[in-house]
Amino acid sequence: MKELIKKLTTTPSPSGREEKIKQTILEELQGYIDGYKIDKLGNLIVWKKGKKEGKILLDAHMDEIGVLATYIDDKGFIRIEPIGGVSPYNLLGSSILFPEIEGFVGVEGETSEEMAKNIKNLDFDKIFVDIGANSKEEAESLVPPGTFGVYSSSFRDLGNRVVSKAMDDRVGCAIIIEVFRRSTPIYDLYGSFSVQEEVGLVGASVVAFDIQPDVAIAVDVTAHSDTPKGLKRISLELGKGPAIKIKDSASISDRRIVEKLRCLAEKNQIPYQIEILLRGGTNAAVLQRTRAGIIAGTLSIPTRYVHSPHEMIDIRDVENAVRLFKIFVESEDSIKL
Amino acid sequence: MLLKELSNLCGVSGFEQEIRNFIKEKIKDKVDDIKEDKLGNLIAFKEGKNNKKLMLTAHMDEVGFIVSNIEEDGKISIIPLGSIDPRVVLGKKVVIGEKKVPGIIGSKPVHLMTGYEGISSFENIKVDIGVSKKQEAENKVKIGDFVSFAPNAMLHKDWISGKALDDRGGCSILIDLIEANIEPFYNTYFTFVIQEETGLRGSGVAANQIDPDYAIVIETTTSGDNPEFPEARRSSELGKGPVITPAHRGYVNDEKLFNFAIKVAQENNIPYQIKRRTAGGTDAARIAITTGTPSLVISIPSRYIHSPMCVANLQDYQNTFKLLSIIITKEVN
Repeated sequence: MKELIKKLTTTPSPSGREEKIKQTILEELQGYIDGYKIDKLGNLIVWKKGKKEGKILLDAHMDEIGVLATYIDDKGFIRIEPIGGVSPYNLLGSSILFPEIEGFVGVEGETSEEMAKNIKNLDFDKIFVDIGANSKEEAESLVPPGTFGVYSSSFRDLGNRVVSKAMDDRVGCAIIIEVFRRSTPIYDLYGSFSVQEEVGLVGASVVAFDIQPDVAIAVDVTAHSDTPKGLKRISLELGKGPAIKIKDSASISDRRIVEKLRCLAEKNQIPYQIEILLRGGTNAAVLQRTRAGIIAGTLSIPTRYVHSPHEMIDIRDVENAVRLFKIFVESEDSIKL
Repeated sequence: MLLKELSNLCGVSGFEQEIRNFIKEKIKDKVDDIKEDKLGNLIAFKEGKNNKKLMLTAHMDEVGFIVSNIEEDGKISIIPLGSIDPRVVLGKKVVIGEKKVPGIIGSKPVHLMTGYEGISSFENIKVDIGVSKKQEAENKVKIGDFVSFAPNAMLHKDWISGKALDDRGGCSILIDLIEANIEPFYNTYFTFVIQEETGLRGSGVAANQIDPDYAIVIETTTSGDNPEFPEARRSSELGKGPVITPAHRGYVNDEKLFNFAIKVAQENNIPYQIKRRTAGGTDAARIAITTGTPSLVISIPSRYIHSPMCVANLQDYQNTFKLLSIIITKEVN
């Protein structure tokens, strides 16, 4: 599982540029699916036939947040814009991986006073990326404006905890891949690895319309409350199990999915947590509102430092999410909620 | 080019009939089919060599206001339709309703100010139509009438200015593409949509009827090449050609279309620029999430958009037209 997560998180594929991760996921699913298709927006949809009529959809987004090179000055310094929720603060002292070269983030300013002022009010106007180029022409040949980049950060194994960029939402992709590998679904099982979630739930907006599933569950990362002076009004800890989402700011999970997952987890002694997220949303929001409405919910992996280059999860939560989904897709009444 | 005429018509979001009628009259005999849908989008069709469908979209509406109340002293209260900076409207001429009743957006004279007082909202702004009683005002305008910036377009050498270049520029280019009688590669839908400025409300419905394989949105976009902005942070610049958008709010533009547009520009020596800001969305985002259509935005750069006076460069207009006139004859690859 760690190897799979490592492979997925280190594959650079920001929103709108998901080609590489799509190929990686397809390779990992070789031999475990009955078919796949890529729709017009680039969503990868895979399936495995069941014995009975009915469709379950598990969705994870395959894009990650990133940056877009927009302008190169005469000395070859690159200006960037965020793609998805990248905070300029997370870029301080950090580096960016462009397809051809790595770049290092600098802040404008002459005196330490000016630097401190810029850092205090940091925005994308005050930072630039240095790829070590000596001229505009050199920089343009490596990173022409319109080039996308991602955080440059390696995968680290701390035992139960693992850290990487793009856990959001490659960990969801890993879970779905493992569910396909390990389960014999009763009903047709669909997996969607959707594009451009980070810029506005774009890919998933059209996926459920196409598949028309009976039940759809998004698998994504969520917040945590177990770091110093962290979120105080919610309860989400790493290692205490996958989180069954009740609500976030974009959707309220269908009650029937919440109860079904909770019931299966308890019956099979799989640890789980209940998630009530104050801010943020998942693809469940758009899956739910497709056609005449779809029974939809989210299963989440508690994650520290979301949208930073170092997103930390607990591998046991991932294993337990796979166990729970395996039981779910192998259960007779999974679509008769 | 009908941009000057188009800019002088009034088509505030939700009140696009004048624009729609004008465009329909100009193009109806030059396309294979034309229809107006229930929301008021105008969809014209030209057959291509290939059965795949290309949707070209420009929005007919412009930012403006609606009459929300008529006060006892005959002054008119207004609510903006679309995003408008209240600071840029003070003292400007408007026309109200189908009868185009002229009015002036009131402002405080500098003599009564201490320093430059800012105003924070449209609550403090009233339109003066030259009456002093509610009754008199009610004879001229009614609640619910549109309020449009007054027609003011000017052409001067390579420059054009006007209240509604956003997005009559796109409308004008679509009309020019039809007028030029180019045989398109794909079955092509020239789509003039409503209510973009109030939240991309027309284009999704239009896309649902067409179910296009590709969509190109032709916009008039922020340049931001004002002297006070550093060059690096300008969104685009006048005189540097059509603006091709890599990503904006709610949608990363389709990679294949993006690269294709750049390739066509390079091969034909058409100047172009990559948009440097990702703020602000267009109908491309709506079309993508509605029919899952790969979409791209190509724009004419313009200064001071969403104000009573936008400024654009006609070379940019011509180059945007030229780029699109070649794109529509080609297979996307």
